[in-house]
Amino acid sequence: MSKYALLLAVAAMAQDARQIVEESQKRHRSSSQRYEGVLQVFKPNGKNSEKRWQFSRVGNYGESKALLRFIAPPEVKGVALLIVNHTDRASDQWMWLPELQRDRRVALQDRSTRFFGTDFSYEDLEERDVEQSDFKMLGEETVEGLACWKIESTPRKTRASQYAKVVMWIRKDIYFPVRYEMYVKDQVLRRLHYRRIEKTQGVWSALELDMEDLRRKGRTVLKTEKLQYNVPVKEEMFTLQTLRRGE
Amino acid sequence: MKLIKLISWQYARTHKLRSLLTMAGIVLGVAVFVGMHTANQSVMAAFSKTVNRIAGATQLQITAGEAGFDEEVLERVQAAPGVRVAVPVIEAVVNLNLRSQSNILILAVDLTGDRSLRDYTLEEGDDTVIEDPLVFIAQPDSLMATREFASANQLAINSKITLDAMDGPRTFTVRGIMQSSGLTSAFGGNLAIMDVYAAQKVFGRGRKFDRIDLAVNEGEPVAAVQARLGQMLGPGFEVDPPSARGKQFEALSSVYGAMANLTSMFALFIGMFIIYNSFAIAVTQRRSEIGILRALGASRGQIQTLFLAESALLGLAGAAAGVLFGLLIARGISASLGEFLGEIYGVAQRADEIASDPKLLLGALAMGVVTSLIAAWIPARGAAQVDPVRALQKGRYQILSAGENRVRRITAFALLGVVVFCLFFTQNRIAFYGGYFLTVIAGLLLVPTAAAWLSKALRPLMKTLAPVEGTLAADSLIQSPRRTSGAVSALALSISLVIALGGMARASYDAINEWMRVAFNPDMFLTATQNITDRSFRFPVSFADAVREAPGVRVVQLVRNGRLQYNGGPVMFVAVEIAKLERESFLPAVEGDSSTMYKRAAAGEGFILSDNFAQLYNVHLGNPLTLNTPNGALTLPVVGVVRDYSDQKGTVLMDRAVFIKNWNDDSINIVRLYLQRGVTVEATRQWLEQRFAGKTRFFIFTNRDLKAYVTKITDQWFGLTYIQLFVAVLVAVLGIINTLTVSITDRRRELGVLQAVGALRNQVRRTIWLEAIAIGVVGLLIGFLFGVVALYYTIEMSARDFAGLRLEYTYPWGMSAALWPVILGAALLAALAPAEQAVRGSLVESLEYE
Repeated sequence: MSKYALLLAVAAMAQDARQIVEESQKRHRSSSQRYEGVLQVFKPNGKNSEKRWQFSRVGNYGESKALLRFIAPPEVKGVALLIVNHTDRASDQWMWLPELQRDRRVALQDRSTRFFGTDFSYEDLEERDVEQSDFKMLGEETVEGLACWKIESTPRKTRASQYAKVVMWIRKDIYFPVRYEMYVKDQVLRRLHYRRIEKTQGVWSALELDMEDLRRKGRTVLKTEKLQYNVPVKEEMFTLQTLRRGE
Repeated sequence: MKLIKLISWQYARTHKLRSLLTMAGIVLGVAVFVGMHTANQSVMAAFSKTVNRIAGATQLQITAGEAGFDEEVLERVQAAPGVRVAVPVIEAVVNLNLRSQSNILILAVDLTGDRSLRDYTLEEGDDTVIEDPLVFIAQPDSLMATREFASANQLAINSKITLDAMDGPRTFTVRGIMQSSGLTSAFGGNLAIMDVYAAQKVFGRGRKFDRIDLAVNEGEPVAAVQARLGQMLGPGFEVDPPSARGKQFEALSSVYGAMANLTSMFALFIGMFIIYNSFAIAVTQRRSEIGILRALGASRGQIQTLFLAESALLGLAGAAAGVLFGLLIARGISASLGEFLGEIYGVAQRADEIASDPKLLLGALAMGVVTSLIAAWIPARGAAQVDPVRALQKGRYQILSAGENRVRRITAFALLGVVVFCLFFTQNRIAFYGGYFLTVIAGLLLVPTAAAWLSKALRPLMKTLAPVEGTLAADSLIQSPRRTSGAVSALALSISLVIALGGMARASYDAINEWMRVAFNPDMFLTATQNITDRSFRFPVSFADAVREAPGVRVVQLVRNGRLQYNGGPVMFVAVEIAKLERESFLPAVEGDSSTMYKRAAAGEGFILSDNFAQLYNVHLGNPLTLNTPNGALTLPVVGVVRDYSDQKGTVLMDRAVFIKNWNDDSINIVRLYLQRGVTVEATRQWLEQRFAGKTRFFIFTNRDLKAYVTKITDQWFGLTYIQLFVAVLVAVLGIINTLTVSITDRRRELGVLQAVGALRNQVRRTIWLEAIAIGVVGLLIGFLFGVVALYYTIEMSARDFAGLRLEYTYPWGMSAALWPVILGAALLAALAPAEQAVRGSLVESLEYE
């Protein structure tokens, strides 16, 4: 009897964990988004770099399309990235290179590769579909004075991942993630902090993402400026033709 | 062992010069074998090393011949199950006209994914660029160089390099210098990394890649992914591990390897006669020693073993010296071989290290010992059969019995009967080569008879020239057929090799000149590379349209050539406007009707094959020929065969439209220009230079330039032949020196008697000189006769197995005439030292000899 009770309790907790993650994703959805990003890479050797871009997104979580156009520094100004997310597979990405006046497909085949020299890997930037992972409630913890659920996510076998598991902390009050720890085997490889969590046009957002690569001892901070949600964005902005026009 | 120490070692010590000369044949044969093969292996090893180092973690590579393939193939491969990472690659060897003057291998990759396969750790450079592939690819003028290349050319970060791109000169910026590692040592360290999409523009590749490098998912069997990709992509693509590229390069230069084998085998074969001769004479000279040993109870087997052991030791010593000498010369040969292979096959490779393969070296040692043992077998058997009673009697034993001679003649004629059967009644390859071998054996068996007959025929002439010395010299040859025939055989074989190779070279030059006269008749050729065998750069089709605007140009012919795989071997394809080819440079069909051939090929209804392709792959008129294209297998009938010497591995000619349709490629390698009457090449050159300078990379060859270039490549190829000729003559000269040295020693008493009864030193000298010249004359005459047969077989071998080239049998009379002074001069030179030895020795000692 007690065995069944324990199993039921575990199942209920698992269900809770999944529901929490689902709820978290549902609550912070928006039909479109626009912002200016500042990407600061702090390298262990002290050589830091900064890039700025303009970002536009249309569509809902998992099925969105995004366009990212670099505006600084001068070496990468005009380079643009078109991302088309899919629920069932990795996103399609194309890059526009103004110097070559051509687009090229960016194959996200090795998703563990670092995203253009930052401490994010391509996989870290993907929109995570709850159906592709299993969740386990690890308990409750306080992070920076805020009560959080501590949830472990393990990729299902159908979804190849560089990580053995990801542990996340989700704020109980607003269902918003504040920290992720990504594990390779039993070691934490990357740690992502969500900072400056604010409500913009009714949507909670982290205006600063801080990713640490514990193996490389590098750090990348992504700051969001001029953030806008649910702005009128045309679908045709997210096509190869637009990308090629450099608009 | 004791006997060797007591008897053989003592004998060798007393006859140092002779022992050295006897060894010389083995030394030379083994040295040539080791030298040429080590050089070849070094170039192959350097190529494989480059391939492996460049491959990094690549497990499979996808190619589609030299034509490359469309970008969309990459997406299909990336999406294929089991593929972890697949990245596009363009590779080209270019000369940047920098300080080191070295060619550099440009490896163009997509850095967004490529770092999963290759390590680009940099020691210098803007960290942003290095860490961030985005900055590198956003600036298409970015280049990463190796530390080795940067040092050799005094390059630093932000140094500028100008590269002649297809759309004019472009300045590249060194944005990173790579730390020395496996990758950076590829191609001797002369390596630079560029973005693959920038390279498409630089090299005029359109939207094509040369190759895809890929790694499979962890735990996935590579062979399974290879099979899956092969099936998915179809027959136009090769999916192989990186090591397969080394094999392709090896296949490409297999003709060189065969030439190297032939040269060394011939040198060893000739060397064998020197050993045979020396041992035969040694047995004769040491017969009293043999007699004593036999009288003391040594068995026949022990005597035979003693001589065989001597020869094995001699062979081993000679082979060891040959190996060392070979390794020494290998460095020199390999230095030029890489360049040479690049010129001929368009695959440049430099070898900075000598790759000495222990198996090859051990094989060479074994070859030296075995050759020596084979050569000494008959004399050793002869030694074992020496009758102790006769042996202890004084007197010379250089006479062949009439019975022995008859047996040789009968055997020779019987062998020749077999040869005739092999030649005329079977096309079997073993029968053909067996026939050649038997012809050589039969010829050699007939040498003593022929040498004796010719020596007798020469006697009156020699007597007329110098009554005493001439007669003595002629008699010496007639009375010592064993000694004479060894030297004559070696010389005759060398001469036959010279005739065969010289005749082959002559026939090749004649054929190539005739082909060039017809096929290379445009007034001008425009190419995208300095070297017509290099196809790294290609013109876009728009270039040809612009060329058509040149005033006074009558016809513009577009050519696209390259290599593709056929039946596992690399062959050449030439896509050309067949209708224009028929009008402007009509090559008659050697199989099929010329008019029908051109008409059908121009209509895209068939392929035209080069004669050597037809021979090598046994595909002839009317047969279907299947070529693998990126769009699948293309099968068309062979509508004709022409004499074409574009490539040693065979050429398939097709209409340009067929190529464009099936390979999705309209780029051009060569533009052939025919000018209107009265329009000068110079005026057109000026117009082209004004029109395209700084806008398009191009090189102009006039008709004369191109013919000179092809002749230069042919000369380089036959440069190998000249090495063979040199080795052949050198071995022959060694044979003469050996024979004369032996002869002098053998006749020491006779020469002493002559001097004692009043012969002047000059008369003795002249006798030796005349004997040498007589050996030369006899060797030349028999060699010319052997040459007739050897040339036939060489031409047949070339047609059947090497290059499939059907050449006209033309006896090289000019070369034969030139050989007279060379060989007789060499014979005379060879006689100088032995002659001095004969007259300088103590008369008393000479008279006491024996």
